[in-house]
Amino acid sequence: MPLLEGRGLCVDYGRVRALGGVDIEVEEGQVIGLLGPNGSGKTTLLNVLGGLLCPTEGMVRFDGGLVTGKPPWVFGRLGIGRTFQIPRPFAGMTALDSVLVGVTFSKRRTLFRAADRRREGERLLATVGLADKAGARSSELSLGQMKRLELAVALSARPRLLLLDELASGLSPQGRGEVLRFYGRLRDRGIAIVAVEHSVGTLARVADRLILLDGGVIAAEGPPSAVLASPRVAQAYLGDGDE
Amino acid sequence: MSASPAGLVAATALCALLPAAGLPPYYLHLLASAFLLATLASAWSLLAWGGQISFGQAAFFGVGAYAAALASIHGVVSWAALVLGATAGAAAGALVSAAALRLSGAPLALATFAFAEIGRGIAINWERLTGGGAGIVGIPALPGPASSPRAVAYYLALLLLTVTLSIFVWMARSRLGLALAAVRDDAERASLLGVNPAAWKLCAFALSGGLSGAAGGLYAHMVRVVAPDLVFSAWYSLVPLIMATLGGPRTALGPAAAAVGLYLASELVLQPLVPTLHQVGYALALIAAVLFLPGGLGGLVGRRRNAAS
Amino acid sequence: MLQALVSGALLGCFYALVASGFALTLSVTRALNLAHGEMIVAGGYLGYWLWAGSGLGPLWLMPVAAAALLPMGWGVHALLRRLPEPRELTSLTAGFGVALLLQDGMRALWGSDYRLIADSALTASLRLGPISLNRGRLAAALAALAVIAVLWVALTRTRWGRAARATALDEEAAALLGINTDLTGRTTLLLSAALAGASGVLFATLHYVHPAGGGPLVMVSIVLALWAGIGRMRSLLAAGVALGLVETLGVAWLGPGWRETLVAAVLLFTLLARGGSLARGMTAGGHAG
Repeated sequence: MPLLEGRGLCVDYGRVRALGGVDIEVEEGQVIGLLGPNGSGKTTLLNVLGGLLCPTEGMVRFDGGLVTGKPPWVFGRLGIGRTFQIPRPFAGMTALDSVLVGVTFSKRRTLFRAADRRREGERLLATVGLADKAGARSSELSLGQMKRLELAVALSARPRLLLLDELASGLSPQGRGEVLRFYGRLRDRGIAIVAVEHSVGTLARVADRLILLDGGVIAAEGPPSAVLASPRVAQAYLGDGDE
Repeated sequence: MSASPAGLVAATALCALLPAAGLPPYYLHLLASAFLLATLASAWSLLAWGGQISFGQAAFFGVGAYAAALASIHGVVSWAALVLGATAGAAAGALVSAAALRLSGAPLALATFAFAEIGRGIAINWERLTGGGAGIVGIPALPGPASSPRAVAYYLALLLLTVTLSIFVWMARSRLGLALAAVRDDAERASLLGVNPAAWKLCAFALSGGLSGAAGGLYAHMVRVVAPDLVFSAWYSLVPLIMATLGGPRTALGPAAAAVGLYLASELVLQPLVPTLHQVGYALALIAAVLFLPGGLGGLVGRRRNAAS
Repeated sequence: MLQALVSGALLGCFYALVASGFALTLSVTRALNLAHGEMIVAGGYLGYWLWAGSGLGPLWLMPVAAAALLPMGWGVHALLRRLPEPRELTSLTAGFGVALLLQDGMRALWGSDYRLIADSALTASLRLGPISLNRGRLAAALAALAVIAVLWVALTRTRWGRAARATALDEEAAALLGINTDLTGRTTLLLSAALAGASGVLFATLHYVHPAGGGPLVMVSIVLALWAGIGRMRSLLAAGVALGLVETLGVAWLGPGWRETLVAAVLLFTLLARGGSLARGMTAGGHAG
């Protein structure tokens, strides 16, 4: 049974169809890469899978249970985590407090004592290399640091599945290398991932399967080598040659 | 930053000594009133911590006052009546929060204002219960030595303020505070992390309402009269707003200190000088606060993620 | 029953005028002028004293009161430009302060006594078939309609009107098109104050004025602004009539003491039903669209 399952997902914004019937399955520990040009519906799909958006049609199952239409905090508590393309830090809180939110509220209490939770928060920050920034507010962080905080915050909720939106974009080659390493480490921990990346090469290296979205529907799907070889990729990104 | 518990204890001890030091009853009453306003300001700050701006604290104050008054004149013992007032206030808070769940910012502020007006209207019109426009008179005095009647009220007001400030300090470091801060900054994100915004916002409102209701109940026993235009007055919605905004709503002592300071200055200095205009000071303070406070009220409400959307 | 309906409709026309200034300010500057009620009361007081002193009919006094309130509009605008974001909330709070300021000022100047323009010509009734119309209410409604018509013409035919409508739709775009949004805002606020003054005189013929009477008036304004949407004068009239009917029927059923509470309840329901957006196209955070 797949960990996350989406069937027939459609999202309409008035007369605009952002998603037109997408099926997706993610197994435990699997890494799925989402490709597609701007406006193809990648972020919309992430929003639906993460509970931020209720699909106009279709259903989402997590761990066998139906979650379509439930409030976002149910998704969070079940173990679905999310990062955002443009980092969304908690503006008024320190980095440590930001990760403590997920630690404190995500599961039925496993850490009862505040000191334990604090330690867990510090450990999370250390994992992304922000141990020394525990007391810093988001306004004091660089873009790279904010992206790391994004990841730490998403991890704070002990997710079994992570929805990552362009983790590597905007970073230097060195930064992208680090991101690749992160993908590897997340995978080692058995966390399933659905990742959107701009750099097709990055995705090809980390994903078990690739899905190409174009105009809100799936244009190609399969192992990286197969999808990248498909002419549909060039067609999706470059158009039909008339433009 | 928020006050240390030690500072709080010291300040309380100091205040506790004042009646023994022989302060005249008039000043005790004045200080007690100041403490009640400070309690309201702190209760308001509890809501502001979660990004919820309330223009309707008077609703909870009034509900608490009436509940305690009605209980008292029907023979309930004073302290129980006060507890009843607090409970009524908490219930009112929960009701408001549950109704206004989807609201935030200006619409929420207006909704709380409307609630307070409705409370006032019910108090005026439901004559059989509330005594109508004339209100309820002859509320039994608080039990205590006849020699210094104002002292009991003073101590109770001081106690209520201390409890309220302690609750604030506790809240800031607790799970409730963390949840509220997260909801304030980015409710959607907080939700994704497992925080149910509605539940925590309701908690904040119930707590704020309960403390305000307790203040109302105590007020009813201090002046021994409740009337709609007295306890449901927009005054009790406005003043905590001003004082908390000026004092720094993210701190424990700030609003309370601002409240006591402003009130005493207004009563002792302005009132004798310009009797008809002494409320003007509050109004000007509020406008100045909105204009010049760093980050303005936006700083209170928290910033949504930057306009990339 | 018919009596109540007609009465309510007449009241509604007056309410539309009351709300017009507020709705204008909200549309063009995104600011909630909570002191609007007090401005109307001030206009009412001015109207009363002018009437008591000169004996002139209230209708002639409307322009005078309107002009007298212009400086107030100027002052409010000066305050408005300096308010930080989020504009709805800060203007609401500052407005609360200005309202208190005005209330205290009026109390200091004119005391807390209740005043009424009790023109005998206005208290007489006109019989129209089965309905008895209070002349005062009829006159107020007709005057209100006249002013609203003038306002509508101003909005659609003048340069200011076009600028105002453009700014209401999208402030940034309007500025890019070369519209001086600050000037437009100032003119709007001056107009809004004038409308408040004029409404105030009419108000004084219908109700007692006293310093604390601004609350229900501003609540009516907010309700109508929410119901009508941004910058639509005709909807404002329809909304006003609807509210007038609701209020008159409600009062007929519950009793006159519930009038203000009824308005507050309508405001509450409106806010709850809208669930978070203060007007079509605006979010609580203040970003258009």
